[in-house]
Amino acid sequence: MAMSMGGGGGSIADINVTPMIDILLVLLIIFMVIVPVTPKGLDALVPQPPKTKQPDENKIDRTIVVQIFYHGNAAPTYKINETDYAKAELLPRLTDIYANRAERIMFVKGEDKIDFRYVAEVIDIGRSAGVDHIGLMTPRILAGQ
Amino acid sequence: MVDVMLVLLIIFMVITPMLQNKVVIDMVAVVNPVAMPDADKDDAIVVAITKSGDVFLGQNKSAIDVLGNQVRDMMAANPGSKTIFVRADARAEYLAVENAIDAVRTAGVEDVGLLTQKREGNPAAGGSY
Repeated sequence: MAMSMGGGGGSIADINVTPMIDILLVLLIIFMVIVPVTPKGLDALVPQPPKTKQPDENKIDRTIVVQIFYHGNAAPTYKINETDYAKAELLPRLTDIYANRAERIMFVKGEDKIDFRYVAEVIDIGRSAGVDHIGLMTPRILAGQ
Repeated sequence: MVDVMLVLLIIFMVITPMLQNKVVIDMVAVVNPVAMPDADKDDAIVVAITKSGDVFLGQNKSAIDVLGNQVRDMMAANPGSKTIFVRADARAEYLAVENAIDAVRTAGVEDVGLLTQKREGNPAAGGSY
């Protein structure tokens, strides 16, 4: 790593390569860490108000609504349509329901005071069960606006 | 001297992307999220909801009553995108999320991407349901 000064045509300095390589490696590592962080998420749909006010009887039978109920600090409880299910039962039940369906649509309705993570969990369970369209029921949708 | 400058440069390069996501959100970790590269684009409409229920549109604090109009303006300026992204804190009240979704729904949004993290680690310890 000696510097050779002087000589033939003026001063020629050898660049000290080792620290430069260190720096380049650090840069490389930094970019390797940064790049893979692509945002991830759960896709959900927001139902738009129906054009006709007449509900389709056929569809009502087939609609699956998962409800999440608030219980203070205790864990929330879940319902699929009108039946209570424990959280662990949701996935097998939903998988069962959607096993031989062509249109896999699920609605999620949470009480206002629950944490968002419980809703995200239910959407996640729905995804695990193979549901491909998940609709979020919000107060104004329920009010028909 | 040069080393110090380069180290500073590196430090700033690391910090800059972190500063872009000014709103600190503790996102939900879920098992099977899908990649949403669009959420990283400059023109993506990202609504952030903090633990305390504050609503941010991009980096700026917003309010539920004006959010709908703001999103409508942004979508008018940039037609084609019908998806907005919601970065909600895991412990945010669902009401705040519902209100935000209701507000943007009136702006014609049909598709909502709920940004989450991928749940890492031992699947037996809660990684699957």
